Amino acid sequence: MNERIAELLEEAAHLLPEQGPLQTFVHHNTLHAFEHLPFADAVVRAGALFGAEPFPSEDELHGYVVEGRIAPADLDAVVAAEVADDGVPVVPGGPTRRQFHARRLRHLVVVPRGPALRWLLAESGDLGPVWAALLAAAPRVVPAADPTPRPRDRVLAETGVDTDRLTHPVLTRLAAAFLDQGVAYWPMHNRDKGFLDAFRGLYGRAGGPPDRFLRGLGDCLRAQSDWDAERVIAWALTELDVPEPEWGDAVLATLLSLRGWAGMVRQFETRPDRAPVAAHPARLADYLAVQLTLDLFALRRVLANTTRHLVVEVTARPDVELAYEAFVLAELMGVDPTPAPAAWLSLVGGCDEVERRRLLHAAYERRHRIGVLDGLAAHQNVSTPDTPPVRFQAVFCIDEREESLRRHLEEHHPGAETFGFAGFFGVAMNYQGLHDVRPRPLCPVVVTPNHDVRERAVAPARTFVRRAHAGWTHHVAVGSRTLARGGVLSVAMGVAGLCSLVTRCLFPRHAHRWAHRLAGRHPVTRLELGYTTDEMAGIVGTVLRTTGVLAAPAPVVVLVGHGSSSMNNPHESAHDCGATGGGRGGPNARAFAAMANHPEVRSRLGLPEGTWFVGAYHNTCDDTMTYFDEDLVPERFRADLARAQDALADACVLAAHERCRRFETAAPDLSLADALAHAETHAVDLGQPRPEYGHATNAVCVVGRRSRTRGLYLDRRAFLVSYDPAADPDDALLTSLLLAVGPVCAGINLEYYFSYVDPARYGCGTKLPHNITGLLGVMDGHSSDLRTGLPWQMVEIHEPVRLLLVVEATPERLSAILAAHANLARLVGNGWIQLVAWTEGNDMHLYQDGAFQPYTPETAEFPVVERSSQVYAGHRGHLGPAHVLPGAPIPVPALDFVPGFPQEVR
Amino acid sequence: MTALLLAAAGAPLLAFLGLGAVMWSGRVLPESTVSGVVIGASVLSASAGTALAVLCAVRGPATVALGSWFPGFPLLLTADRLSIPIAILGALLGCLIGAFSQRYLHRDPGYRRFYLLLALFVAAVELVVLAGTLDLLVVGWELAGLASALLIAYFHHRPGPVAHGLRAFITYRVSDIGLVAAVAVHHSGGSPALVGLLLLWAAMGKAAQLPFSGWLPRAMEGPTPSSAICYGAVSVSLGPYLLLRNGVTGPAVVAVGVVTAVYATLAGRVQTDIKSTLAYASMTQIALVFVEVGLGWDTVAVVHLITHAVLRSGQILRSPSLLHDHHHLEQALGGPLPRTGRHFERVVPEPLRAWLYRFALERAYVDAFLLDRVIGPLTRVGQRAAAADDHLARRMSATRPPVHAAN
Repeated sequence: MNERIAELLEEAAHLLPEQGPLQTFVHHNTLHAFEHLPFADAVVRAGALFGAEPFPSEDELHGYVVEGRIAPADLDAVVAAEVADDGVPVVPGGPTRRQFHARRLRHLVVVPRGPALRWLLAESGDLGPVWAALLAAAPRVVPAADPTPRPRDRVLAETGVDTDRLTHPVLTRLAAAFLDQGVAYWPMHNRDKGFLDAFRGLYGRAGGPPDRFLRGLGDCLRAQSDWDAERVIAWALTELDVPEPEWGDAVLATLLSLRGWAGMVRQFETRPDRAPVAAHPARLADYLAVQLTLDLFALRRVLANTTRHLVVEVTARPDVELAYEAFVLAELMGVDPTPAPAAWLSLVGGCDEVERRRLLHAAYERRHRIGVLDGLAAHQNVSTPDTPPVRFQAVFCIDEREESLRRHLEEHHPGAETFGFAGFFGVAMNYQGLHDVRPRPLCPVVVTPNHDVRERAVAPARTFVRRAHAGWTHHVAVGSRTLARGGVLSVAMGVAGLCSLVTRCLFPRHAHRWAHRLAGRHPVTRLELGYTTDEMAGIVGTVLRTTGVLAAPAPVVVLVGHGSSSMNNPHESAHDCGATGGGRGGPNARAFAAMANHPEVRSRLGLPEGTWFVGAYHNTCDDTMTYFDEDLVPERFRADLARAQDALADACVLAAHERCRRFETAAPDLSLADALAHAETHAVDLGQPRPEYGHATNAVCVVGRRSRTRGLYLDRRAFLVSYDPAADPDDALLTSLLLAVGPVCAGINLEYYFSYVDPARYGCGTKLPHNITGLLGVMDGHSSDLRTGLPWQMVEIHEPVRLLLVVEATPERLSAILAAHANLARLVGNGWIQLVAWTEGNDMHLYQDGAFQPYTPETAEFPVVERSSQVYAGHRGHLGPAHVLPGAPIPVPALDFVPGFPQEVR
Repeated sequence: MTALLLAAAGAPLLAFLGLGAVMWSGRVLPESTVSGVVIGASVLSASAGTALAVLCAVRGPATVALGSWFPGFPLLLTADRLSIPIAILGALLGCLIGAFSQRYLHRDPGYRRFYLLLALFVAAVELVVLAGTLDLLVVGWELAGLASALLIAYFHHRPGPVAHGLRAFITYRVSDIGLVAAVAVHHSGGSPALVGLLLLWAAMGKAAQLPFSGWLPRAMEGPTPSSAICYGAVSVSLGPYLLLRNGVTGPAVVAVGVVTAVYATLAGRVQTDIKSTLAYASMTQIALVFVEVGLGWDTVAVVHLITHAVLRSGQILRSPSLLHDHHHLEQALGGPLPRTGRHFERVVPEPLRAWLYRFALERAYVDAFLLDRVIGPLTRVGQRAAAADDHLARRMSATRPPVHAAN
């Protein structure tokens, strides 16, 4: 029996949210558990299970048709590809299947339903012979009852009383108390023995809570004191009258009813290492046993006190809604369906709402795909091959937020060359910074690091002031919530509180700077690496070879890790670097530079004497740069480094300026001089729910040489991965790149897709009422399920398209890699990402229906400008590609002269 | 003096009425206009309050008559050492929260509604504080209750906020019985002791003192800034203010304060979410203010009210940054945060500890007790009365010819 329960739990756990504690937020595909299915089927299946939306709403998609974001050609192309057609009109004189679909997608027909439709029909009298014929031919349907896998669903249907309203508050309270990482002053009693034991210890005592539904719970828990969780589960399911074959559904539905908490318990069970402070011994079985026990008591109470009134409608009735929709469409399209009403009805029924949304969404993605692919293809014809000598190189994370920084850097400093590599730079480590309390892994989540790296101060630092200040802050925070100390503190701290409140509300940036005046400078430190020379040479060699730096290193090579720091943002860590597992990549860049500067490593890799590596950290929220180990830079590189730093500082200002256009708080004519201050204000303001837009709008990933995209405006929407096919004869580098980049970028992209498409169920809704609980996650307001996914303020400007992965390789090479790697093939084959092979000769092949199919560009002309700012100035919406060619002769008409170019699509 | 008092009390009210009229007409004003009007009105009110403070210091307290509703019910506004500080506090927090929410609620579909309710709330608070008679105070009191209930139910597409807004509203109604009764008793020349008890009853509801405490933690449903101004600061402070204004002191007030303080500090210490923790912390301090009021330490009570309001609303505004702050605090301290709650474990013997923890976690069973023993029976009585009424009506209509009743 225990094994069977364990099996059921395992199956159910699979479908729970996989989001861990918020401190280490790792983007992942919200529907990871459904990846074995084709995308369109998966979203519908998952939508039914979670009650969530599969695609953007028809309203929204239709709005795109109206405003031209979806072109008529897209609709026709999608219908031609997706709808089977024999060329014969379905109804004599009417449209063929394809013609019908193509016209149907162009019209938003709002058909009244239920009582509204009954009223409408009663009011409109006789609608004529067409209506009569359609109604007579309408299929008869039995009203489908909602599935009732849980006894609670049945009782709710029969009595109208929802027992979850009794049990969920208790369960939420208990789970939160059990998992709490230090919000509560007084931690839960006895929680080191597990959730079920803690529950028994509290509620199994005499004199229990007076809630009527909990009457008898104490006796019951005492009687079961030596039962294990599995036995309790089996007992409760039996007592709840769930037939054994249905246990699986009942367990799943029960856990899903409070899935955030169940998922967090599961996370503690499987990944205790990710607990922010202390991993309490959580087990999903314990949690389920408690939930089922509470369910049982609540149901007994409700059934004993209410009368059942079960109304089950079993009569089959004609599907009036379908008939009416068919009637309206017949009128709209000028078709007379009377000769074959059934055929017309089935045609209309076959193009139901989900199907229309699927097709419209495909058309929406198609327009975006064409824009990007055409831009990439066209850019090959205008890019200037003769670049000046390289003065310095900078390796960034592949993150799409670095696209603008790289573009501005190259645009204003032609001597700069940039590369993209996953932001952990091959250095997988457990890192503990000077001030960190505990080490944390800084590498992709799928990698388990074997090395510990510590940051140590060169000279003992003076930390007294800092510590005293922190101690006092902590004392006030805790003390002000207590009784006596709180009284004294609130009277004593009133004036200080007023100052802080006024400045935080009115002058957030200055208030923050003032509050951090005591932080002081970071002391001089070094990393204790603990890698062997072989390992270091391996790491450095792989990165330099893959990116292509090794072929011709510049005098200074800057490695730029990134992260993000912001206030008023429980999801702060979601803005950090995904390649470091939701951490900040500065230490990785620093460690890499230290390795690459190591004499033995250099000699082994044949790195020239005239090259120096410097690690840096880019804060993407306020666009500041920090450089590491500058004191170690030899004199002869100082001037080059200073030049590189100046160039990067300029680029940060420009990138901040470009980024601010998305904030409605920034004036459309925001000056360059104010850009950094504006970005910084967003980062430190307690009242700012949008510190940065993070990965929102991400849509594309280009794997290939930077020379092919250099100078192409990609609107901060493309992950750029450096890859030189010439240095990779056996596809080994490409394979490992795709295995890492594919799932990581798809995870980010799909999490944004789902949080955007259904912010209430896949996302965590608006941030405004969020309430941090247990240092683990957020609830809505006072007490709710733990909300997983991304908040609306993070995704509101996103375009829900699946990742377009463009790889500089031939279709044959990509097919071979897919054939050899099932995981990647599953993602691509099931349509979770769109894969494009891009050859040396500028041919493109889109992976569709199981094979690469040649792609022919539609447009070859894109705007040409001298500066990026000419593309984005004055616009807030998404922008199409453009060629940014500083100082180059302009081969095609400039921006202003391109008629009808869809610059701003929303 | 009259003009200043009118400006202090009237500016937010005018802002509310003006905005309300424009929104009623269906015009959609830009975000900055809506918030600008409310912030401007609050600034005006706060400045008028400050000027009044100077005038009061020079010329002494004053009461201004604005006419009367009807004979025996004059409209009085009063400026004295008690009303002016609280009036300034209300208006100042109004404009600070107004400025803060410009960023916080930017792009939210309910932005305009929020500012409308904020204006109503500030107007109501000014009215309560500056009212020179109990009758006028009742008007402000009811409006403040309405505004805060609507702010709790701000996210009205989810059932939780609506239920909790309704709960606060009902609690207010129940405790308002005390206030209205106090007015009636006062006008009919009843005993001051009875008036005092009735006012205490009213103040307990507004200030979330036992047994009316259940609504306060549940009120943390609205956007963070509204929680900060209403439940961290001003709304709960109106309870003690009512007592101070009317000079209600005595052992009953002290007893309510002591019992609530012990209850709230106990329940607050096991809360695992930051907003509930802060809600109970507010309740604890307001309970202490009750004790001070009961002992007749008026000045201490006013100072405590104001400083607490400022400190707590700041803490609530900062609550979404808890993870960030926790991380930085750990770094600055150079180790995990010291574990709290040890002295509970030292003081309370082991067998009692689990019992006490459960007692605190279940919030001293107050809610369950009220629901099962008070609300439940009341509803059942109501249902029976309705059934009896039905039955009677049916019997009467069966025996007599139908009559067109006026109602």
